[in-house]
Amino acid sequence: MKLSALICGSSCFARKQYVKGFLITLVQAVLLWAIPGVFWPYMSKLGTLGTIKAQKTFNPETMKNEWNDYDNSFMILLFGIIGILITITAVVLWLRNIRNARDVEVTAASGKHVNSFRDDLADCFNVKFHRTLLSLPVLGVVMFTIVPLIVMICIAFTNYDRNHLVPANLFTWVGWNNFNALFDMSANGAFGYAFVKVLTWTLIWAVFATLTCYFGGILLAMFINNKNTKCKKLWRTLFMIAIAVPQFVSLLLVRNFFNDQGIVNTICANIGLTDWLKSIGAIQTNYIPFLTDARWAKPMIILINMWVGIPYQMLIAYGVLLNIPTDILESAKIDGANAWQSFKSITMPYILFVTGPSLVNSMVANINNFNVIYLLTQDVYTSTDQMMASANAKEVDLLVTWLYRLTQEQSNYKMASVIGILVFVVCAILTLLAFNQLIKGDKEATFQ
Amino acid sequence: MKKFLAMVLALTLALTMVGSCALAEDVTLKVWVGDNADIEWINGVIDAYKAAHPDNNYTIDVNIVSEGDCKSTVLADPEAAADVFTFADDQFNDLYAAGALQQVMIDADEIVAANGGADATVVLAASKDGELYAYPATASNGYFMFYNKEYFTEEDVQSLDKMMEIAAAAGKKVGFPVSNGWYLYSFFQGAGLEMHINEDGITNSCNWNATDTAITGVQVAEAILAICANPGFTNADSDPFVTGVKDGSIIAGVSGTWNANVAAEAWGENYAACKLPTYTVAGQQVQMGSFAGFKLVGVNPFSENVGEAMMFAEFMTNYENQMGRFEIRAEGPSNVEAASSEIVKSAPAIAALAAQAAYADVQRVADNYWANAETLGKILVNGNADGTDLQTLLDNAVTGITAAPIQ
Repeated sequence: MKLSALICGSSCFARKQYVKGFLITLVQAVLLWAIPGVFWPYMSKLGTLGTIKAQKTFNPETMKNEWNDYDNSFMILLFGIIGILITITAVVLWLRNIRNARDVEVTAASGKHVNSFRDDLADCFNVKFHRTLLSLPVLGVVMFTIVPLIVMICIAFTNYDRNHLVPANLFTWVGWNNFNALFDMSANGAFGYAFVKVLTWTLIWAVFATLTCYFGGILLAMFINNKNTKCKKLWRTLFMIAIAVPQFVSLLLVRNFFNDQGIVNTICANIGLTDWLKSIGAIQTNYIPFLTDARWAKPMIILINMWVGIPYQMLIAYGVLLNIPTDILESAKIDGANAWQSFKSITMPYILFVTGPSLVNSMVANINNFNVIYLLTQDVYTSTDQMMASANAKEVDLLVTWLYRLTQEQSNYKMASVIGILVFVVCAILTLLAFNQLIKGDKEATFQ
Repeated sequence: MKKFLAMVLALTLALTMVGSCALAEDVTLKVWVGDNADIEWINGVIDAYKAAHPDNNYTIDVNIVSEGDCKSTVLADPEAAADVFTFADDQFNDLYAAGALQQVMIDADEIVAANGGADATVVLAASKDGELYAYPATASNGYFMFYNKEYFTEEDVQSLDKMMEIAAAAGKKVGFPVSNGWYLYSFFQGAGLEMHINEDGITNSCNWNATDTAITGVQVAEAILAICANPGFTNADSDPFVTGVKDGSIIAGVSGTWNANVAAEAWGENYAACKLPTYTVAGQQVQMGSFAGFKLVGVNPFSENVGEAMMFAEFMTNYENQMGRFEIRAEGPSNVEAASSEIVKSAPAIAALAAQAAYADVQRVADNYWANAETLGKILVNGNADGTDLQTLLDNAVTGITAAPIQ
């Protein structure tokens, strides 16, 4: 048993569990080779993220570039973190293996049956079947969610931006600098100023976009569901068309419609609306700046979002409406309740209870509603706020579109990372608060 | 026995040598061109290149990455970028800083000479510290004035005031993209104010808010406000310009060769182009400046076949292929010999660019310029609706333009 601290399979061999012993020893050997051989070169440089800058010389003989053995900060960060995770896993496995060896020794000493490899294998599909099922998803989550997440969080503490792009340059740790820049509310802090503005608009947008679509969807579903409405299927289908067309197509088209020189502006000019708005001082330009002036663009975006968002909510609400117990509604009617009263006291609470969690969900989705904002304003909207322009933000930006443009257009990964973390914090807080309020207690009983 | 061994050795050696000479090398190159319309041209170039180098087996893949977006695509992962890519010269600085441009190591002196020598603007645009880092491909990526001869004489187009007056009288517009930093530069540069990148390659210096210059920043801003308020003027970037030219509402406008076909088709016989006009600032007539624009071909230093990539880039931008590009795509050559040929000189757009060249600067700008200039332009286009003090407006713009990135 003591030997199993050194050669992990030895205890199994002693108990004649040859296959298991071999497998355990093999895993140990691979880890013992990989950790120092593959990951240590990266892990050892995690503290600095590399010091050797890439250098090349062109060899005219071979017509190829000869590179020095340079450090790639990003690879160091990535493989360093994977290395640390693997090392921790290895230590945990090692400790558990020793404990197992002891357990088996005790079992054997007490004369009980020691599991053979075949028994263990059978266990995997029997007693421990949940572990077998979960192992693949867990591995996937670790590889594709946890590791990238840790790397992204780490980047928020580095100076990884356009002046420190890998592989030609190195980046390194800068501590809380980026966070300080984002929370710098002094007169020179363009990022701090922009962050407050963008966050405020993100929250306003999320509330309005969610509520308008939610209530719009319910109303629409009720109108269609009303027993006086004819051709219910036709109406449903008509409204579905708006979401059947991909947003990339429909939103870009709408953007062109509402362009400064677009068709809507032409119509408004022809019917005299533009001149009238100009005469009352609502606009200074010869066109209506639907998507190019913050005061017009923000309401417009919320309106256009209703057009794409309401049909979704209508679908959900329609299903819920069909499930409202008709006996409650009928008894209410007999008691003399009018349509509004039964809507207010029966239909609405019922829908709210059933769709409450999805309301929270759509709120969070709207905070991250990239499509609508980006497709409607990209290449069209120019900021008129000089401080925001300094931070490459626009008045109509959500945190997520700002983040996107920082990475795609500015290669400013460090600030994008910081903003990404804050988006998560905002969403987490909102979700916790909302779920606590909505799902407090057991309201289901009320509807029984 | 020894003899036998020696013979075997000698034979093997001989065989390997013969083999290495006779065996054609397999060379794979990835090439990015800017537009679908370039495909015909580049395929011709590739065929000619293969014919000129029959020794090797070439596999050359062509993909489209617009010259304007080339930087962001390359910078996203330099190691995965194409071996040879075309980009607009405004991206030179960022590509260079990211180590994504291979210094020209083959025939650099010949290339410099063919493009007008070390002091030619196109060579400066492709060089850093006197070393060539990209291959000049076209010299027609700048901007100039298109106009419709039905309304303007050659005399009229000398002055923006005159042009706006004629346009206003005809109920038409003269277009200029004021809310675009690339064009906004014209006004300030023309008035003698400066904005350019610093030695560090990261920050800009800018004196657009100067109060001690012959023409002050505020005077330029006032001039732009007056122009934007003129009934014969409209702020028109590329898309509105195209729309306006097609529907006849714009009869003159500043744009580049990429819109030459649109104007030529719409105006037919009356299509003409010239250098930028003068504008009125502080009571005087001032010639508008501009950014010179070039398309450059870069070679990826991470390329497996960097030597071959350089040779291909050189071939792609030589006299014949620049002429071919002119014929197919109507883009002005940077090659001096090609540029001075009669057929090139007779193209109105290219003649206009040549006339503007005397007032055009090489574009060396750090990124903080763009968003801030765009916003300044937009505020001026809106007639400074909030009534901010112009000096404050310019001070803010300069602070933003010259700001250092967060370290």
